[in-house]
Formats: sequence, structure tokens, C-alpha cells
Amino acid sequence: MLDGEPIIQVKGIVKDFPGVRALDNVSLDIRPGEVHVLMGENGAGKSTLAKILMGVITPDAGEIIYKGKSIQIRTPLEAQSYGIGGVHQEFMLVPWLNVAQNIFINREPKRWKGLPFIDHRRMHEESAKALAKFGISVDTRQPVKYLGTAVQQMIEICKVLTTGPKVLILDEPTAVLTEREVEKLFQYIKVLQSQGVAIIYISHRLAEIRRIGDRVTVLRDGKYVGTVPVREVTDDTLVQMMVGRNITQMYPRHRRASGPELLRVKGLCVKDGPQEVDLVVHEGEIVGLVGLVGAGRTELARAIFGIDRPVKGEITVKGKPVWPKSPQQMIRYGLGLLPEDRKRYGLALNMPVTKNVIMASLRRHFRFMIDSQKIEKLSNNYINELRIATPSAYRLVRYLSGGNQQKVVLAKWLDTESKLFIFDEPTRGIDVGAKVEVHALMDKLVQEGAGILMISSELPEVLGMSDRIYVMFRGRIIGHFRYDEADQEKIGALMLGIGVKEADAS
Amino acid sequence: MSVRLATKAIEEFGHHKRTLLAPILRLATLLALCLILTLLSENFLTWNNIINVLRQSTMLVVIGLGLTAVVLTAGIDLSVGGVLALVGCLTAQLLRSGVPIPLAMLIGIGVGAILGYFNGILVGIIGLPPFVATYGTKWIAEGLALILMQGQIIFGLPKAFRWIGAGYIWIIPAPIIITAVLALIFHILLSKTTIGYDIYALGTNREAAFYSGINVRAVSLLVYTLSGITAAIAGLLMTARLDAAEVGMGEPFLMQGMASVVMGGTSLMGGVGSIGGTIIGALILTLVVNGLNLLGISSLVHNIVTGGVILLAVFGDSVLRKYSE
Repeated sequence: MLDGEPIIQVKGIVKDFPGVRALDNVSLDIRPGEVHVLMGENGAGKSTLAKILMGVITPDAGEIIYKGKSIQIRTPLEAQSYGIGGVHQEFMLVPWLNVAQNIFINREPKRWKGLPFIDHRRMHEESAKALAKFGISVDTRQPVKYLGTAVQQMIEICKVLTTGPKVLILDEPTAVLTEREVEKLFQYIKVLQSQGVAIIYISHRLAEIRRIGDRVTVLRDGKYVGTVPVREVTDDTLVQMMVGRNITQMYPRHRRASGPELLRVKGLCVKDGPQEVDLVVHEGEIVGLVGLVGAGRTELARAIFGIDRPVKGEITVKGKPVWPKSPQQMIRYGLGLLPEDRKRYGLALNMPVTKNVIMASLRRHFRFMIDSQKIEKLSNNYINELRIATPSAYRLVRYLSGGNQQKVVLAKWLDTESKLFIFDEPTRGIDVGAKVEVHALMDKLVQEGAGILMISSELPEVLGMSDRIYVMFRGRIIGHFRYDEADQEKIGALMLGIGVKEADAS
Repeated sequence: MSVRLATKAIEEFGHHKRTLLAPILRLATLLALCLILTLLSENFLTWNNIINVLRQSTMLVVIGLGLTAVVLTAGIDLSVGGVLALVGCLTAQLLRSGVPIPLAMLIGIGVGAILGYFNGILVGIIGLPPFVATYGTKWIAEGLALILMQGQIIFGLPKAFRWIGAGYIWIIPAPIIITAVLALIFHILLSKTTIGYDIYALGTNREAAFYSGINVRAVSLLVYTLSGITAAIAGLLMTARLDAAEVGMGEPFLMQGMASVVMGGTSLMGGVGSIGGTIIGALILTLVVNGLNLLGISSLVHNIVTGGVILLAVFGDSVLRKYSE
């Protein structure tokens, strides 16, 4: 299966963005019927390469060879004509068009050949059929904006698959999928593989790569590091290829005796959200909060931070009772929230690093007149301290990679000099290297007397970093462990509600 | 190390170059326009004409100051023309019935502030789309002016009041000085203060600003109130200059004010723009009309040319923005 002529080859691809060389002389060949994994830290150039193959952006130099012939891919339409199709990280659906319209956008089946009348019945039937392959049954007449992100993702994949691609590019497709859909997707990938479709699969999840990958190519800082058969390489080697150094410790944690209470939540209820939640965070502690998506973890964080109003309950911060009304008020009480979706809630992407760093602490430094040199100096301190990879403090945050963006959000909260933080998925979507750095920073914060409530969906992270762990299920806290009495099986079972009495669970 | 420093220096220069390019080009357009008019008409580069252009542009600049603040938050204020007319008419009525000048002006500005605050409540607290909310306010303001005037036009205002629109300080018209002072205040407010920072942050990402503890409601209330106040001041200047007030006096200013703001490079999506840009936008707009007059071109085609210039400016800006990315 792995031999044979490559269907597509790239040679010496170079792509420059302002101030960064995103791809530097990258070469690669893809054979029919293989799952070729592209791996690398955020900002390594994986997505850029994918976009070049999909015709979304054009390379500055280099060659693309399709079945032995040199070709140019200037638009997504040209890519399609060569049978190259893929799914980006960013959603490409039109929110107010319905499911079938999205799947067949720009190539709607016609009622009579050559006439512009759409055969709606066929369009809906075929859409439903394509989705059914993944076990998804939705009303194809529904606008996609009313559907969940997982279903939207599957619609995108169906949209590509109905074009009958020879080369399928999937850029981190499982990031928003649930386990069941991931399973279906992987099964289908196997089917496509047997039909000779070449699949370029971008991911940094080692477990996935092991399951479906044939060969893996690692990129680092826009450069080609190497291509290896998945079966012949260890996880450690892959990580080392990705980050360029040995990662000795994923969870650098120095646990210490906890101090006085920083946050106490008692009987907190939010409409359609958390119910009767009790929890405590002490000084010097990282407290993990786990649960399935929809268990109410983010809603709890939002309520404590004053974004959504709780219905009832009590909250005390450092012994002082407080009823959260707005983030402004809670920040004054010394609370900071690192939100789950950093691009939407955490950052002003079109502002420079400086203005993002200062966003939550501006009035701590200046009453009315702003001294921009002071902000620059302060930003440069954080850039050095947190090792934020940016050419300048004035670079717009949108040009930074995910890990560095997250560090900017961290810098923003560090500058408030808060002692109590809620970190909602602090390492989601960032690469291994940055992940370890974020972990180390969290450890340092609690060493210095802060308390952190950490929401995370990654159990190894929760187990590796937390002192205590709360498990949430359908809005309620149904489990509480010390880190040394917890393990993946116990927590995993509780997260799914296994062993919970029906009366508690409803 | 030295390599890193060098790349950093290049990057920083690049950053400044990119951010400076647009304002420089805007200024260059303005100067080029002046140069062309100087070559085409000997009457252009005369003291009287220059002063005349500046005085004509003051109305657009003053309205543009508050509008810029609103547009920076990704909002819009369609009520400025209505507020201008209402304040002009109301102040004229008050003056005619013998209310002391400072008090009459204060009431006028106060009414502008209240209408602006009303817009702020509609947009920032209740959450109506700015376009609709301020359009409603425009009708209310114009309706109030109609009732107030009963179809009349008021002439003959006190001389001391007329000074703010038609008087001189030394050899420079008073409205130019007043406008310059207001512009300076707004420039400092927007570019050097915590309040200005909040306005830009709100316009760039409202949610992130809210999550970072910025009082987004207060910012909305503030910018619309400021816009009401500047529209009111423009109403006073206009009334004083014409020595008259009538219901329709605000009509041309809404779209011209918006055009100045947009031509000045302020993005309707919020977060990008400056007072300096708005001033240049207002000057270009005024110069085009002035030039057409000097060249003796029929006023029938003025609107077409003005429209073309606005489109060109906005087109140039969008090309530039793409390039600088």
C-alpha cells in the first residue's frame, strides 16, 4: 500500500508572511492510499502547507508536482480540478444556508442539464446519504448555524467527500469532534484509503497518529525536519523532532502545603447550568475541574467571574462575600479568568501585544493619561519572561501562533497581580513546547501563593497538575479527589455519570 | 544576538512603516489636491481663500470628532444632523426670547448631550443596532425642531453670539480656533488616555474588552454622548455663522460628516482610525467643493464629483489595508 508513485509532491516550497518565513524550503511526497500525517508545533507551518495545496494561498517559491507533472494551484477551484480537497481549521460554511446548500455550494445538482434550475430533492437526498455514512441524521433543511460545532465539522468533511477527492487534506479535524464521531471518521478514512485516496492528516495528538497514520512528516519553525514511518518511531522521538529538544517533564509540578482559603463557592445555581455547586480553592493550590463538554464547567466559571448572573448561592473571595455582577467588579476582587476561546474572549487580535497585555490592568498603572513607553517596557518584560515569540511588542496579536497568543492572555492576567485565577482549558490547541511552559508558569504562580481553578478536558493534564480534582456531571459536582487518590479510570467513569444515582444525575 | 537585534529593528521599522503609510498617503493626497488647485486657479492660494476653506471645514470637523469616537467602537450615529438642527433652532429661540447667551448655549449643548446619552442607552444598555437606534433619534430630534419652529425661520441673533461663528481672534476666524481646540482635546482623549484606550479596545473586540473588566456600557454611553455634544456645538457654530436657524439646517451634515470620518481612514468595523484622519478627510471634502467653485464648474455636478472622491478615497484605503497585511 505504501509503495507506488507519489500522487502529489511538493518541492522546495517557500512562503513568507510579514516578518515570518512560514515555510522554508519544504519538500514532501504523498502516495495514493496512505495517511500521511503532518506534525509540528503551532506555527510550524502545517496549516500553511495545507492551505497552499488547497489553493487558498499561493507559495512564493517551489514546485507542486501532480502525477509527475508540475502544476500551479492558484484557487480552491483549481485544487478541486486536480481532485485535491480539504477541511481547514477555520470553518468555511455559510451560516445561514442550510445543510444541503452548504454541502453542494457552487455545484448544486441541476434539474435539467445546462439550465440553472436546482434539483433540491436530489441535493437533500444526497446530503442526507453522505451524512448518514457518519451516523449523523440532521434535517438537511436546517441552516447550519443552528447546529453544533461537531456536526458542522462533519458537514465540512462531507462537503469535500462529495467532490470525490483523490487527495484529502484534514487539518486537525478531531479538535471539535466527540469520541463517537472521531470513531466514524477514522473508519471512513480506512475506507477511503482502500480506494486509493491519499490523505494528508494534520494533528498533534500522538494517539491519533498511532491509530491511523502510515508515515509522519514533522515540521518545525517552517522547516522540514524529517519523514518517518509511524510504526518505526517512538513518541519521545516524535516529540523531540517537533520541539527540537528533549521534554523531560510534561507536568513540572512542585506540590506544597496549601494556605488559607481564596475562593469559596456555596450552593451556586445558574439557570440551565450549574446546580448547587460547592467548591473551595486555597492559596498554593491548583484545583482541577473536569467534566464532559456541556457538564457546566465553563458556565460555572462565567458565573463566578460575573459574566452570567447566578440565580442563587454564595461566593466568598479571600473571606469577603461577593455577588458577581461584572468582570470589572470581580477583577477588583482579585480574580482573573483565562477564557476557553482565546480568540473570541481573550484577545483583541487586531491590537498589538502591548495593548493586549495592558487590557485588564490599565487603570492599575494609569489614572487618566497613558505613558506608552511604560506599556512597551512592561510588555517587553512579559515577552522575555514568558518567552513569547514575537518580533516586536507592537506586532498585532493575530500574527502570533496559538501558543504565543495564549501566553499574551496569560501576561494580561499576570499583570493584574491577581492571586486567584480560573484557567479554562489553558493549553487547548497549543503545542507541546508551549504547553510545558504554561504548566511551568502555573506551578510558579501557585508557588508564589496564587490559587488556580483549572478547567481541562485532558485527564493527564488534570492528574499531572492538580492538587485536588472536582468532577462535574450535568451541572453538579459529583466527585472530589485528592490528586494521589485519583486515577484516569475513576475520574473517567464519574465524568460519564457511571455509578451516579439517577436522582443525583437528573 | 546581534542578528536577533537586527531582525527586531527591521521588524519594528516595518511595523512603523506599515502603520504610518496610510496617514502619510492621506496627507499627500491633501497636499496634491492643494497643489493642483494652486496650478489651476490663481485665486486658490490666497489668504482669504485658505481661511475660507478652513472655516467651511469647521462644521465637518466638529461633527466628525464625536462621530469618530462612535465609529471607533464599531457604532454609527445617524442623529447628528437632527441634533444639530434641533440645537440650532432651540438656541435661536432661547436667544430671541432674551435668555442670556452663555445659558442659551449651555442649554443647547445640554440637549445635545441628553440626546446622545439617549442613543447610548439604546445602543449600549438595551442593545439596539446603532444604525436603527440613532436613526430613530434623528426623527425625534427633527420632529422636536419642527414643533419648536412652527415653519418659521429665525433671523437676527445677538452680535455677541454671532461672534463664535463669524467673529475673529486677531486675524483668524473664531470658529477655526474653537474647532482646533476641540480637535486637540479629542485627539488627546482618544490617543493618550485610558478612556481612549477603552474606546479602541471596545471597537476591536467587545467581548474581550468585557472579559478584561472594561466597562463596555459606560464606554458606549460616553461615545454617543460625546457625539451628541459635538453635533450640538456644530449647531451653535452654524446658527451663529448664518445668523439664522431653520429646521432643515442639519440635513447635509450627516453624510458629509460620515464621509469625512471614513475618508480619514476610520474603519466602520471599529478599532482603527484617528482624529487627524478625520480632519484630513473633512479638508479634502471641503477642498473639492472649493476647487469646483473656483474653477467655475456648475454646482449641478458637485455632488457627482464629491461622490466620486469619497469612493476613490475609501477604495484607496481598502487597497492600502490589504497591502499592509
